[in-house]
Amino acid sequence: MVFVKNWEDFEIAAENMYMANPQNCRYTMKYVHSKGHILLKMTDNVKCVQYKAENMPDLKKIEKITSNLVGHMASKE
Amino acid sequence: MVLLDNSNFILRLEKIANAAKKDSSFTLTFKRYDGHDKPVPRAGRPPLPKPETYMCLMRAQSKSQKISTVVRQEDVPTMMGMYSQFMKSKMDGLKRVKKVKSKAKATKG
Repeated sequence: MVFVKNWEDFEIAAENMYMANPQNCRYTMKYVHSKGHILLKMTDNVKCVQYKAENMPDLKKIEKITSNLVGHMASKE
Repeated sequence: MVLLDNSNFILRLEKIANAAKKDSSFTLTFKRYDGHDKPVPRAGRPPLPKPETYMCLMRAQSKSQKISTVVRQEDVPTMMGMYSQFMKSKMDGLKRVKKVKSKAKATKG
């Protein structure tokens, strides 16, 4: 599966995918210290979007989207 | 798979992260969790009751070690606070980008 190059595109695509099918979506983050990158992935078992973060400023954005998603996951509806 | 409470999960996760630092990696998965531990019944059977509130299932994996935790709605702010602390301290291998000072500032100083 291809990586999304642009952070904004990934953020929108991942949130839309989650909103469309919250029950089957999972969000994964893999950190490889030796290579210095974080791989983000959002999939609903049909489609999949990925993003590769290599720079420090991305960490802040990842933090934001992660807490957004967890907020959505642990909610009333 | 070991199910831990939120703060113990972060503690174990830090250990896993330290162990994975040299030449390995770790993966975290976030998923919505409805509290059911049974499969969805077949068509024609009564469906599982709809949960009042959803939770978030967090799993971490490195090599053959697996841990998990369930985050309840009221615990989300504290958990995310701990988690962002964890990210800042353990996911520090990314490239640092030097901020480009604007020319106006440089000439002033």
